[in-house]
Amino acid sequence: MVAPMEHAGPGRVETGSEDAQIVVSGVSHVYRPKHGRQVLALDDINLTVRRNEFVALLGPSGCGKSTLLYLTGGFLPVEQGTICVLGETVRKPGPDRGIVFQHFALFPWKTVRANVMYGLERKGVPRREAEVRAAEILVQVGLKGFEDSYPSQLSGGMRQRAAIARTLVLDPATLLMDEPFGALDAQTRNLMQIELLALWRRSPKAVVFVTHDVHEAVYLAERVVVMSARPGRIKAIVETGIDRSDPEFVKSRAFVEKVDEIWHLIHEEDGKAAP
Amino acid sequence: MITRLKSCLGLLLLMLLWEIAPRVGLVRMDILPPLSRIFIAWLGLASSGELWTHGVISLFRAFSGAAIAIVVGTVLGVAMAASAPVRIFFRPLMEALYPIPKSALIPITALWLGLGNASQITLIALGCILPVAVGAYNGARGCERVLIWSGRALGAGKMRTLVDIVVPSALPELLSGIRTALALCLVLLVSSELIVSKNGLGYLIGFLGGSGIYDAMFAAVLTIAIFGLIVDRLFLRYIRWVLSWQ
Amino acid sequence: MAVIGRTEDGVRSSPVASALVWLAGIAREYGSLVLVLICWELVARLSLVPPYLMPPFNEVLVRIWAEIGDGTLWVNLLDTLRRTLVGFGIAVVAGVAIGLLLARSSTAEWLVGPLVSIGFPLPKIVFLPIFILWFGVYDTSKVIMIVCDAIFPVITATVAGAQGVERQIIWSARNLGAGERDLLWTIILPAAAPQILSGIEVSLPIALIVAVITEMMLGGTGIGAAMMESWRFAESTGVFAGLLELSIIGFLLIRSMNALRRRLLRWHAEAQADLV
Repeated sequence: MVAPMEHAGPGRVETGSEDAQIVVSGVSHVYRPKHGRQVLALDDINLTVRRNEFVALLGPSGCGKSTLLYLTGGFLPVEQGTICVLGETVRKPGPDRGIVFQHFALFPWKTVRANVMYGLERKGVPRREAEVRAAEILVQVGLKGFEDSYPSQLSGGMRQRAAIARTLVLDPATLLMDEPFGALDAQTRNLMQIELLALWRRSPKAVVFVTHDVHEAVYLAERVVVMSARPGRIKAIVETGIDRSDPEFVKSRAFVEKVDEIWHLIHEEDGKAAP
Repeated sequence: MITRLKSCLGLLLLMLLWEIAPRVGLVRMDILPPLSRIFIAWLGLASSGELWTHGVISLFRAFSGAAIAIVVGTVLGVAMAASAPVRIFFRPLMEALYPIPKSALIPITALWLGLGNASQITLIALGCILPVAVGAYNGARGCERVLIWSGRALGAGKMRTLVDIVVPSALPELLSGIRTALALCLVLLVSSELIVSKNGLGYLIGFLGGSGIYDAMFAAVLTIAIFGLIVDRLFLRYIRWVLSWQ
Repeated sequence: MAVIGRTEDGVRSSPVASALVWLAGIAREYGSLVLVLICWELVARLSLVPPYLMPPFNEVLVRIWAEIGDGTLWVNLLDTLRRTLVGFGIAVVAGVAIGLLLARSSTAEWLVGPLVSIGFPLPKIVFLPIFILWFGVYDTSKVIMIVCDAIFPVITATVAGAQGVERQIIWSARNLGAGERDLLWTIILPAAAPQILSGIEVSLPIALIVAVITEMMLGGTGIGAAMMESWRFAESTGVFAGLLELSIIGFLLIRSMNALRRRLLRWHAEAQADLV
């Protein structure tokens, strides 16, 4: 199950195959702060996300997992290597790759409804239709009745629902999530995880989910990409292979062992970092 | 170094334009004298002593007025924050006086005290008290109770707590109030000297303009402008230095 | 009023005593003001100071009433307001435009940025004699002077606001398909609105102050000019009437600015809180 990077060489990357949704090949990224030394944030990353696959990027802070996500989103320029999404090289942001940020990034001056309609307006969807679609998606994420609230009037969990709705209403083929539940309390977080899985099952899409929570990664993802820090590299890619049909699967032996296995992978990293 | 040079480029271009435009006839020479002529006029003003006699008068007025405003304003603001009776008395007055455009006081003090120093100093003091007092009051009111309590617990008396704890924690807002007051002080000084005065730099500018000696007028204008700029920059430095604990 | 914060010392009591509490509240809010006005009236009535220095308050009111009657108040008031608002309006529009340009274009930033940071603290009123030389003594000089003074707070506030927009907000907008124009109009401008409005709130009183100064200096119409006219004839009632009129204008301008802010920033949680 464990596929360390050395063995997952270029030959095994399904570049350009029918099955691949995101292909990251040979991507390195240097972070240049205005003051201070530049840092190699990502070093020669190769990764393929299959069609409609749920992948988690897991690693300590500073391992560049968010950077990889921002590169895929087209927010940062890809300077070395290439990233292809559905056969198209990423050059700029686009509604085909929806993104959800940890701190929601809702437009605070717009109501929830107006936030959700923003992308539809940019696409030139007629107002009537946009309203209908926004209403539908808000029902789906459980925000019915809060359409006219401003983000500042909502709780953290509700804000993140609104942000997810704003992205999902454009029905992107790829969903990029940057620690989306990291700012929520434990209970809300758990609820949101359940609902995210349900949403993904209802309308399958490729999801790249950045987190530093092992439990969350194993709970949600089909494959977990474990990254190491400074420079950011892929350390291992683990298939979770968990049968989620059982509602109690969190308590299953397979789940617990998988969490444990990945824990160990990350702890090895700790040992190396502090000799 | 390069970024410093770059940041001066806009200014240098403007100065160059100022020098060249009147010389090549883009604008009339008497209406916009080239910079070099203004500089020569400045040397003339400086060597004849006019600049200094009027400058000293203006400085004295600005300094006295600002000093009174800062002392009275600070005491008033802190007292309002510390004592309810003082607050109840002065708050409505401050709220009533706050919206008055301060320049409306120019004829009032001229009416009361004529055209001399007293009139200008009173004008500046009256005009500048409010920003200082509002800054001191808001700053002192924002002082955390825990700080005051711990001061009292450490054996500081009421007055000591006020001076040692409340005033320093009010400093950021107080200093920004004083900065506003300083800017206002120069505006009131110059405009009142232009309108109702028989000496001071503002008067000098009006006199030179009235006599058609425009290059000297430009020189006097630039002197005050640069003086104002330097005062503000120095005070900003002072603020940063005082607040370096932040 | 927003400028001077309040302390929370209101106490709730039984409905029976509420009328008393209400009266006490009024006395508390305006008591000292009434007291000072009464003192003013007494001091002037008892001739403790000569009337040409301080006319009784009621005579000032009578004078304003007379000015209303013969129409001079409206002429002067409208002229002062017109200059203030025209200058202020130009300063706001141009200031926001320049601010956005400075925030979005690095070329503009390094060419114009230093000029703005030098221009802000300059006592620009000294340029008034130069403007008189260039543009004469009529409205052009006055309005240009007002624009020069009122524009800087707007520019700096706009730059700060536009540069302070969270990176992820901009990314979200791009992600949802916003182009450069959309970004400016639908994202950066509203996101910077709280700061821009703060800058505008600073610049409105400045516009009024400068309008009055220009009127005092250049004469003609307007309340500032009327005050100087009264001063020349040692007509103290006229001077004090002008002061009172300008206070009322200042008060109304600040009030309407607050209302506008509240209206525009309904979405802004902090703006709601600090405006109580």
